[in-house]
Amino acid sequence: MYKYVLRRIFLAVPVLLLSSLIVFGLMRVMPGDALTVLMGESGNIGEKELAKVRKDLRLDLPYYQQYGLWLWQMVSLRPGDSLLTGEPIAVSLGKAIPVTLELAALAMILGLALAIPIGVLSATRQDTASDYAGRVVAVSGLSFPDFWLGTLVITFAAIWFHWIPPIGYTSLWDSPWRNLQQFLLPAAVLGFRLSAATMRMTRSTVLEVLREDYVRTAWAKGLGGRIVVYKHALKNALIPVVTVVGGQLGVLLAGAVVIETIFALPGMGRLTVEAIQYRDYPVVQTNVMLVAAILVSLNLAVDLTYAWLDPRIRYR
Amino acid sequence: MNGDRGAASMTAAVPAPAVLSTAAAPVETISRTRLLWLTLRRKPLGAVSAALILLLIVTAILANVLAPYDPLETRPDIRLQPPSREHLFGTDDIGRDVLSRIIYGSRISLWVGLLAVGIGTGAGMIIGLVCGYWEGRTDLALQRLMDAVQAIPGLILALAIVSVLTPNTTNAMLAIAMVIIPGNSRIVRGAVLSAKQNRYVEAAEALGCRQLHILVRHILPNVTAPILIIASIWLGNAILIEATLSFLGVGTQPPTPSWGLMLSSTGRAFMERAPWLAVFPGLAISLAVLAFNLFGDTLRDAWDPKLRRNG
Repeated sequence: MYKYVLRRIFLAVPVLLLSSLIVFGLMRVMPGDALTVLMGESGNIGEKELAKVRKDLRLDLPYYQQYGLWLWQMVSLRPGDSLLTGEPIAVSLGKAIPVTLELAALAMILGLALAIPIGVLSATRQDTASDYAGRVVAVSGLSFPDFWLGTLVITFAAIWFHWIPPIGYTSLWDSPWRNLQQFLLPAAVLGFRLSAATMRMTRSTVLEVLREDYVRTAWAKGLGGRIVVYKHALKNALIPVVTVVGGQLGVLLAGAVVIETIFALPGMGRLTVEAIQYRDYPVVQTNVMLVAAILVSLNLAVDLTYAWLDPRIRYR
Repeated sequence: MNGDRGAASMTAAVPAPAVLSTAAAPVETISRTRLLWLTLRRKPLGAVSAALILLLIVTAILANVLAPYDPLETRPDIRLQPPSREHLFGTDDIGRDVLSRIIYGSRISLWVGLLAVGIGTGAGMIIGLVCGYWEGRTDLALQRLMDAVQAIPGLILALAIVSVLTPNTTNAMLAIAMVIIPGNSRIVRGAVLSAKQNRYVEAAEALGCRQLHILVRHILPNVTAPILIIASIWLGNAILIEATLSFLGVGTQPPTPSWGLMLSSTGRAFMERAPWLAVFPGLAISLAVLAFNLFGDTLRDAWDPKLRRNG
């Protein structure tokens, strides 16, 4: 197992380094440097002042030194300051990450609560009206843009119920009820999107498992339908479903970018979009790198969990 | 995968060995088009999706004929008019006809989708073919690079790319193509690795065929089915990402009619007074994406032998 763990970590490190090179390189593709663009957009500024600010921000160093410095800043968890606000990026992220985490957790719970029962219903009643309805819900989740659903939810909640989510972020600890009011709709929209892939996977794996010999045996023993489906079939069908759910983190983080913008939630997604809109490059590269690091680490954790659960994987 | 073309070409070239003659024994083969046609007849949802795609293509091509008004013509006297006989989808905040803008918007969506998927699929296919056929260090290095690109979620990568380039339709399209490459390369690589195991590839190698010839004539025809399936699914995603980028203000720029932009600019600003500004563009995006997703599923049902057996 140790060998396997070391091998997986050894493979993950170059991927992360390459991701960091892509992110760093991307920020320097543009003609001139980030500061010139930023200052150029903000108004006239003298060459002298520009050179001074560039030196302060160490943008005058050769690229390889800038990259090394940035990498060190990332590893030592001090990713520098925002060009726009001057606030340390670590502080901004410290405020934004809990918001995104709460949104993601709530969306995941709502998404699973929708996906698994509908997926099972679709499979157990294959080719009936319920199955078709379930499949339409799943494909809709994949096709409806979350920014459209978000906009519609706000619009029709306002028109029909004369209600809009409270404005201004309130943390869960300050006022749980107000916080829930702010998070429920965005999490439902994001959860609906997440549920689509899980629903499709649940349907197909339950269908597959229902044809297995041990399920036939369970039926033959005279067990009730619910016990056969939920105890025998679903339990085994859920293993690939868990993989899909694990792989949804990327969708979740990308979805958070849009949903947080629509519902004015000050999370990582909104922070990234604002940084992109105002070309705040240190924030953009830190956020994108952080997301890549989270995804690579999560994939590594999933792989290691599998290897721990199924010894055959380690010896492949 | 269908190996008809590759196998057929080998049958013509190498008639002698017993193994090959068994493989090339006369079997009833059905062309991919016929398989697709049979599946479309069997699956009504697939037929509906094909009809919707056809409608989208016709709308995009004949936009200037079908649109009742100029999509850029502003008429402040009829601003924010609800759907009526004159303006079926209503008018926006400066009196532009929403239906005409949606019709013209289909051009942007389809154009961006087709080009982004074309570039992304083409590049992904070349990388996948090289990695799968030659394997070794090139494969290792390229696949790690693909892993690194895939480590960044598609939308965030596209946003980052567009942020360093100028936000416009062309750059949004290039960004989407970049997002498509890694996944496609991996699928093609897998298909090539599997196709390489076929006896006719071994025979072609034994006959001294050039590697490029084997790759293009014998392996490529066997990996076109997964490429086309994944491309059709990606078309829907590309339309969705373009709409999202435009919605976030880094894709198509005003006054060009784009579905995502229509939603973000007027749809959100006037959503309570004029909900049709949010409903119709979103519906257009959803229907287009839904059509491509369903059509992708239908293609998979028709061309993926494994699924055919299970189905």
